[in-house]
Amino acid sequence: MAITDLPEFIRADGPDKVTGSGRYTADMTLTGQLVAKFKYAEVSHARITNLDVSAARAIPGVFAVLTADDVPDLRYTPVIADRTLFARDVVRFEGEVVAAVAAISAAIAEQAIDAIVFEYEALPIVTDLEAAVADGSTLVHPDLDSYVITGDTPHEGNVATHSSIEMGDAEAAMASADVVISSRYVADASHAAPIEPRAIIAQWEGDKVTIWTSTQVPYDARDGVCETLQLPSNKVRIIVPHLGGGFGGKCGFHFEAHIAALAKAAKRPVKLVFSRWEEFVAPDRRREGMIIDVTTGVMHDGTIVARTGALLLDNGAYSADATFFPQAAAMHVAGPYKIPNIKIDSRLVYTNHQPSGSVRAPTAPQGCWAVESHTDEVAAAISMDPLDFRRKNIVHTGAIGPVGQTYDEIGLDQCLELATKSAGWGNELPDGEALGIAVGWWPSFAASAGAFAKMHGDGKVQLITGANECGTGSVMTLRMIAADELGLDQTDIELVYQDTAAAPVGPGATGSQTLLNHGRAVETASRQIADQLKELAAVHLEANADDIVLSGGMASVAGTPTVSVPIVELAAEAAEGDLLLGSASAPVHDSPELFGSTCLGDQDFASWLAPQFSCHVARVRVDKDTGVARVLQVHTAHDSGTIINPVAAHGQIEGGVLMGIGQALTEGTQYGEDGRQQNAGLLEYKLQTIADAPSIHTQFVEIFTPNAGPKGAKGLAEAPNVATAGAISNAVARATGVRVRQMPMTAERVWDALTTSAREDDS
Amino acid sequence: MTFTIANTLADVLVALAAGARPIAGGTDLVVGARQGKDSLPETLIAIDRVGELRTIEAADDHTRIGSGVTHSMLVSDPLIVEQFTAIADAAALVGSPATRNVGTIGGNVMNGSPAMDTGAPLVVLGAEAELSTTAGSRRVSLDELWVSPGRTSAQTDELCTALVLPNPPDGAGSAYVRLEYRRAMEIAVVGAAAAVTLDGDVITAVRIALTAVAPTILELADLSGLSGRAVDESFFAAVASAASEQAAPISDLRASDRYRRHTIGVMARRATEAAVRRAQGEVIDVPVNRALGVGAAS
Repeated sequence: MAITDLPEFIRADGPDKVTGSGRYTADMTLTGQLVAKFKYAEVSHARITNLDVSAARAIPGVFAVLTADDVPDLRYTPVIADRTLFARDVVRFEGEVVAAVAAISAAIAEQAIDAIVFEYEALPIVTDLEAAVADGSTLVHPDLDSYVITGDTPHEGNVATHSSIEMGDAEAAMASADVVISSRYVADASHAAPIEPRAIIAQWEGDKVTIWTSTQVPYDARDGVCETLQLPSNKVRIIVPHLGGGFGGKCGFHFEAHIAALAKAAKRPVKLVFSRWEEFVAPDRRREGMIIDVTTGVMHDGTIVARTGALLLDNGAYSADATFFPQAAAMHVAGPYKIPNIKIDSRLVYTNHQPSGSVRAPTAPQGCWAVESHTDEVAAAISMDPLDFRRKNIVHTGAIGPVGQTYDEIGLDQCLELATKSAGWGNELPDGEALGIAVGWWPSFAASAGAFAKMHGDGKVQLITGANECGTGSVMTLRMIAADELGLDQTDIELVYQDTAAAPVGPGATGSQTLLNHGRAVETASRQIADQLKELAAVHLEANADDIVLSGGMASVAGTPTVSVPIVELAAEAAEGDLLLGSASAPVHDSPELFGSTCLGDQDFASWLAPQFSCHVARVRVDKDTGVARVLQVHTAHDSGTIINPVAAHGQIEGGVLMGIGQALTEGTQYGEDGRQQNAGLLEYKLQTIADAPSIHTQFVEIFTPNAGPKGAKGLAEAPNVATAGAISNAVARATGVRVRQMPMTAERVWDALTTSAREDDS
Repeated sequence: MTFTIANTLADVLVALAAGARPIAGGTDLVVGARQGKDSLPETLIAIDRVGELRTIEAADDHTRIGSGVTHSMLVSDPLIVEQFTAIADAAALVGSPATRNVGTIGGNVMNGSPAMDTGAPLVVLGAEAELSTTAGSRRVSLDELWVSPGRTSAQTDELCTALVLPNPPDGAGSAYVRLEYRRAMEIAVVGAAAAVTLDGDVITAVRIALTAVAPTILELADLSGLSGRAVDESFFAAVASAASEQAAPISDLRASDRYRRHTIGVMARRATEAAVRRAQGEVIDVPVNRALGVGAAS
């Protein structure tokens, strides 16, 4: 669809953000506010021998200095409770918070940080994933068995959890295959890198605390504060001003409790604003490093008969939300293929790195990059075109997937055809240029979400939602849904959002579910008001309420638009009588059933609700003298069900593609021998810029999907981030004749692969 | 801290004599201070509104580029683009549009970074720095000026007031090419500038300088053997190997020494090829990085 065909309307928060009139957390100032600073471990693994904050506390202008001794002694984080707010006895990564200071100025807070006596005895560090799972490795959590661990979470040594997906008899099938291909791929860690470093302000009034924070998930933040500071949920209010991006980096509970505890101790409002370095090293959200070994058995006719895999994922020092990652990664290494015999083992491994956590489509860019690169290697081994090989093996409507899920109507085969046709697959290209294909998938997530709606006497509507706007498009799409139900214009609808005291609980901006779950709640709550309007109109128009249509600001009798009454009149009438109010909770979806598979350490990530499918084709030019690869074009086709808001949908794809290019080519964390990040800044951590953007051509395969979101929509926020790196990898390989097996596929790595290959040719 | 905005050069030089430090675009000074590299000086004299420093003046035998000329001005100045093209190539690559609008060539030169993009072009075009105090001015070669990373031989009361370049002879052409991993907000991994003069197909003069492969901008030595040679494949191959051999690169987050040593040869060759084509009268748009090939990515 050409951009000129898109409906014309603006984001409700757009003018604020563009003109600077909008307020982000860091822009706020409260009377009497103090400045917070953290004392970080700045060492990867050590036993604390002396932590003395008395000199810091004695500095004039310092109002509070807190350590583990000043907060409830408990471990938190979902599934594996391995974390404390402040380091206790041992520090396990460089960004671990040892102490926190609140002072009258930033300079005095710095002075207090410097005055903290922090002495330690260095412990051996664990950074290599294979060494970490070998016998005799230093343990990051020697007392893991004593922690509270929930769910099916097999753990041992440095393995936080071990998951698998398994179906059929992979070993026997592999033995019967005509050709067996094994590959190893290694992905470096990377970052969400939102442009707004996080900021938090906490203020107490009596026994209630209000926290303004740049989180994607206000309810998770609230629950974290309640858990760690042992407060009831109705005493903690989380408000999120405008967010400057998140990309998953601001999911989860982070530093809200630290700042609330400081504000309580200081008896003043306290504000924290992260530096860029802190944003890189401190949050428990970075994209995990991964080692992927994958083997595929294939017949000469191109049929895949078996796949096995062994994956190691870098959990970092604490588990955050990463416990589902091993199974998610296994699903991506299985891929959206019909594979009857499969066994993929996947282990989440503790190291002394920053903790990993959900960054946009966690595990998918790496898993898809590895398996789609491998897929091209398998196709090459049997001299089959990569497109034909995928045509033969991808899942389609009615097919049984790699864990025994049968798919309803899906559009991956159309995606494959549309994207490859758009890119001109098979056409001759100039020397040094090539196309690469990758297919990807991503689930939709079931979660509870509620919404309130109210229509005022002037016919204007407020939607009160737990949705968050960090690029989700909720400020556009939720209004569209309500406007559609109520026969109004989007400009008649305002959102009240990002405030836990106002809105019913919801997942926030996580897991591509703003539309899927918040959207359904908004649709139902709006429909309740629509039904009330129809009842009122029925009296006015002497018609049956079922025959009333709401459209263009009017309530009219179906088929007789001249018999009508303005909705604003009905609203005015209701304001004097029964108020127009809606409240709804979207029912939690049932997960599809699986047949014939067995999953060890099941983290509910094998059965995929309303799976989204995609095909990306990248056109890449490689400078063989230097190894620099440049992405010239990306052609995408996505099955995300019905597309309600094309503006937001195209925006998600474009952003996802750019993020994918960064991960593929330039974005990777570099660690020193000491386990610390060396490129924790935007000069040396190379994000893509708008000058690097390729042309992006997107088509949607719109299939009404039942048991999904409103109007048959599925999620879309994470899906565009899945297949880009795999497509680029295959294009680079086709352009150069060599495979780069480590991501990011930096210029130097491409050049290394070329020179290694040239040396091998010579010898 | 005091911050004074000067209107005339005389005011600036008096302030420097009294111990103030100059600030123009602040793209190195302020960013460095915010990153904790060096704190801001106690007394700053802003020189960005001094008109005398913001002119490009052509004389019969030389051209004088005021130190306050911004990168944006260099890229859009017809004289620079036509006669001193390598400088325009380099200026067009610096930072972002915002950086180029405030960052100045004088600031670039006096910051003394071995990764500065305008440094190698100035060297191959034979620029001298004009350093001024209340007592008068002197000219120093850039080789003499740059001592080590971030250090120059200028005295604290001296202001770089201009870069003075001999006007190139007929048949001359120049170019600057750098290796970059992205197309904006980038810093040179390695870079090379070349200036050549041709008499027909014969090279009569060639100078080549390298970015980010030594503690300061490195001019290739012993190129006299290349003068008098015809423009052919062996000439370009000799340029590439001279660059790779004479470079003394380090390994850091951006690249290994090995990769730098290889790619500096590629960049030197490409810069020289572009300079030769320009000397032959071909118009290659500024910057060469965008006009040609991927490694200096199009």
